[in-house]
Amino acid sequence: MKRYFRELSVLAALLVVLLGLAVLAPGFYQPQPLLSLLTREAPTLVVACGMALVIISRQIDISVGSQFSVCSVCAGLLAARGWPLAAVLPAAVGLGALLGSLNGALVAGLGLPSIVVTLATMVTLRQGLNLVRQGEFVNLPDGVQWFGLSQAGGQWTLVGLALALLVVLGLGLRHLAAGRQVYAVGTNAEAARLAGVPPRQVTFAVFVLLGALTGLAAVMNIVQSPQVQPLSGAGLELKVIAAVVVGGVAISGGRGNLWGAFAGLLLLACVSPALTHLRIEAYWEKAFQGAIILLAVVADGVRTRRSQP
Amino acid sequence: MSASDAPTPAHGAPAPLLKLERITKSYGGVRALRGVDFELAAGEVHALLGENGAGKSTLIKVATGAHAPDSGRITLGGRTLPALTPVLAQELGIACIYQQPALFPDLSVAENLGLRLERGGRCRRIRWGERRELASRLLARVGAGIDPAAEVRELSMPEQQLVEIACAVGAGAQIVIMDEPTASLTRREQESLFAVVRDLQAHGVGIVYISHRLEEIFALADRVTVLRDGESVGTRPIREHGQTLSEADLIRLMVGREVARLYPPAESVPGEVVLALQDVGCRASGVRQVSLEVRAGEILGLAGLVGAGRTELARLLFGLTPADSGQIRLNGQAVTLRSPREAIARGIAYVPEDRRRHGVILELPIEQNLTLAVHRRLFPGGWLRDGAERSLAEGFIERLGIKCAGPSHPVGTLSGGNQQKVSLGRWLATQPKVLILDEPTQGVDVGAKSEIHRIIRQLAKEGLAVILISSDLPEVLGMSGRIGVMRGGTLVATLPGGTEAPVVMAAALGQGGGK
Amino acid sequence: MSPSSWKSRLFRHETLLLLVLVAEWVFFYHYGTTTNRRGVVVGFGTLDRQFDILRHSCEIGLLALALTPVILTAGIDLSVGSLLGLCAILFGKLWHDGGLPVPFAAGLTLLIGAVAGGLNAGLITGLRLPPLIVTLGTYSLFRGLAEAITHGAITYTDFPAGFLFFGQERWLGLPTQAWLFAAVALGVWLLVHRSVFGRSFRAAGYAPEGARYAGLPVERRVALVYILAGVIAALAAIIYTARLGQAKADAGTGYELFAITAVVLGGTSIFGGSGSVTGTLLGVAAIAVLKSGLATLPAVIRLNAAEEIAGLLTGALLLFALAAGPLLRRLTTLLPRRSRSPQAR
Repeated sequence: MKRYFRELSVLAALLVVLLGLAVLAPGFYQPQPLLSLLTREAPTLVVACGMALVIISRQIDISVGSQFSVCSVCAGLLAARGWPLAAVLPAAVGLGALLGSLNGALVAGLGLPSIVVTLATMVTLRQGLNLVRQGEFVNLPDGVQWFGLSQAGGQWTLVGLALALLVVLGLGLRHLAAGRQVYAVGTNAEAARLAGVPPRQVTFAVFVLLGALTGLAAVMNIVQSPQVQPLSGAGLELKVIAAVVVGGVAISGGRGNLWGAFAGLLLLACVSPALTHLRIEAYWEKAFQGAIILLAVVADGVRTRRSQP
Repeated sequence: MSASDAPTPAHGAPAPLLKLERITKSYGGVRALRGVDFELAAGEVHALLGENGAGKSTLIKVATGAHAPDSGRITLGGRTLPALTPVLAQELGIACIYQQPALFPDLSVAENLGLRLERGGRCRRIRWGERRELASRLLARVGAGIDPAAEVRELSMPEQQLVEIACAVGAGAQIVIMDEPTASLTRREQESLFAVVRDLQAHGVGIVYISHRLEEIFALADRVTVLRDGESVGTRPIREHGQTLSEADLIRLMVGREVARLYPPAESVPGEVVLALQDVGCRASGVRQVSLEVRAGEILGLAGLVGAGRTELARLLFGLTPADSGQIRLNGQAVTLRSPREAIARGIAYVPEDRRRHGVILELPIEQNLTLAVHRRLFPGGWLRDGAERSLAEGFIERLGIKCAGPSHPVGTLSGGNQQKVSLGRWLATQPKVLILDEPTQGVDVGAKSEIHRIIRQLAKEGLAVILISSDLPEVLGMSGRIGVMRGGTLVATLPGGTEAPVVMAAALGQGGGK
Repeated sequence: MSPSSWKSRLFRHETLLLLVLVAEWVFFYHYGTTTNRRGVVVGFGTLDRQFDILRHSCEIGLLALALTPVILTAGIDLSVGSLLGLCAILFGKLWHDGGLPVPFAAGLTLLIGAVAGGLNAGLITGLRLPPLIVTLGTYSLFRGLAEAITHGAITYTDFPAGFLFFGQERWLGLPTQAWLFAAVALGVWLLVHRSVFGRSFRAAGYAPEGARYAGLPVERRVALVYILAGVIAALAAIIYTARLGQAKADAGTGYELFAITAVVLGGTSIFGGSGSVTGTLLGVAAIAVLKSGLATLPAVIRLNAAEEIAGLLTGALLLFALAAGPLLRRLTTLLPRRSRSPQAR
């Protein structure tokens, strides 16, 4: 259990918040708002899974927000042209994978620092999108919203899809050789190379996977409303990185898992409704999120300091 | 299992597992190996002995394919290989256990073994149960009481070495190279390691065993090869015709007979005591109860093996790992040295061992490296003065004979010897009273070496108290007025200058040398 | 790590950037200057437009100046944009609600900037936490506090004319804030290139252990860099408020990215050690001229997309600046290696 101490402590924090809400604001537990909350967070969860992989491999990608926006708009435009969702979905995933492979090629191929590379692609993609679309909304045809299902049906589908992906990726990361290679590269790339794990290929692969998941998340996002906002992904990167880091994935690579990232995401997602129900003004949300991130890294820092005098 | 079960390594035995012939290797201008022959038979423990810089680690790197030799022949299992790569070496069954294991610190022991040993595609399912079982089996085989689920970062260094050995066993290595495996082991861990080695030996594995501890070599090895200055000075069976090789013979082989190489003669007469230590220790770095004195104009040599605590003592005096017991006096005054800054202010300078990481900053220009420790004095008010910096740099470049294209070139462009002179110059610029030199001539070519010796002499003549740490025994003997010998974190002997090399070596090895 | 002198390489980078800047300027002067129906020269070639560029680049320029020493020590500070917002709000609040005179409010704001920078510094050097994630946390925290204080709605306005002078008027022929900017630029330049502090930033950026062995107080110097970044961000907040005449919580959103882009474009290595303030200034200028110049091109005016094209080009330029070196090195190392391999055998 010591191995999962970090994840369990996030889980404990989450339970405390949930319990506190149960006592102080039982209104939080009405099924419909709760389902809506989960639905809103479903695309974020999908991106967070990919981001966790990237961070475990000791990289970072701050361009996911821009990728998300680009994929959302493109998927929206395709849907507006009458493409069925069954065709839009793979197209968006493919586009995301392509964008991810650009980052991957620059980072793994040329050995450039991922923070600057993805900063550059973030600006380029966002401004490119703005240039082409001029901030225009995309109106979606009927039958796209909630996959043409009822609202509740659509919401359950999205939540189910996100959770299914979480479970598949989480188990894959733990039980497939490929998943363990991500850890190996993140904890010691040189030792990985000596053990026959190719660090560059793994790095490239996690960026592509993150891109593909971002594309999928974009589709999961556009089906939630009748219109596609052009900047729906703004700020997503920070939200996702925060969730992953709070969930115990070490920014220095090699540590953490998707279950922790999931708990971290829920914890951060609960801040806003918790504030509302506790009658604290919602404007405090971001400040609380920042404080939680700092608390998480400080806890990590203190713990590693104590274990390595 | 005992050594007697093992097949006897007779000289007329079939083709040896590994044969290295006339291997040479140079780094830059430094010749690390000058035609070394080495042979390893199946089921043999072959000890490799030599001082630091004698060429042991280079020889290992050649044998594991990490570095290609300049010339010579490698024969592995009867096959002559044109080129050996790390991958090929692994496939051919060579495993090397380094002092600093290359493991995955964030992953469990079982996973570390699994990642190295399991083969198969990316989409293969990890069978954690089997992994753990394999790990337990291998760990049990090497006698390690390590939990396979433990993370490697929680393990001690010897435990990590045992994991490496388990890995070598699991990979079915035919040749296992152990680089000072017992340097950090406790007595009991050492015993169990010996059992592992004997067990491997009984299974026909050839073991190259590198150690400074003579008693281990006598307990474990079948043969011993001694390297000196990049040459093999002899291979001897430990037991022959019922007679055991004597320690004295071995020590004589190691240090050689021509100690009286050309060292500049001492010209200075020691003056007042500058630095005096009384029972100084530091728990964190393992230095205990060191008492010594250094006088102005004196060169005190510090001899000892790697890990004897010499660098740790230097770091203590320089305030990097401050002392937590005992008393330090400078010019008769009790002082505390809690940070490098404080040490520098008191007139202590330290030229560190790891030149490239600590001694200089490779990317910065020569002049900036030279002035890095004298900012306060050279730049009053905190503003740079190019003229002052340039003239100081040019002064040192001339005084120390630093060969460079100009003071504004990065230190990284210089040869090792000249980098070392820059590192030395930086500390001379602080106008120290005590100068600690840690392996000042390691990785330096012969010409620069004698220049550095001349400079050290000159400094002593000018009244500096010099502490010279060196694993090059002739250097310590040739340069020092007195010789302190360290072992296990403490000073075990202080010998007068002109002591015979075997006596110093015996003290360093703990063979009842003169107290 | 080619042994070819880093200084000459740096020199080349800055020269190159200067050429890009001149080319931009000439291009926009030629294509972006027109005469309108009444015979008045409008567009890029006018003095007003040049002053406008100055005015608009001051805040991001200040943040870029703040980040240059940070990145030299191999660190990063993502929180400067958020801190700009927080400081703008606090400045407005101190003046408006606190009733402090503007100079006092400004002084207190700078102090707040120093404290906020000190928070980053303490976490990074005291607890040895990675700067990226610490400043990501304070990025959220500072912006969040700004939003919490204003409830996301309050905007402080009606600042006295004497204060607005700093953001909207001219002094000695130049926009007032340009003088402030120049003073800070000079200060940072002196700090980085002419003082022992700058030396230790570089040493710590190249080799923190090596710097420690040279007796440099690495932790204290690195802490200083983050505190300074906080103070400069606070100054940028005051100038921002003076330019717009209002203080609001979303001030400076996204500025950190432009500032980092300018620094990296200016040739400062994200791995620490090498870089220059001159490069950063050129980087800021290249981005500002591009942005403002595009807005004067008739074709772009018709598209109404100056900002977007400028952002796109900036991002592309940054990618190019990053990738060009390694790509070139890879190409040059491939060739001799191929010719050398037969010899080895």
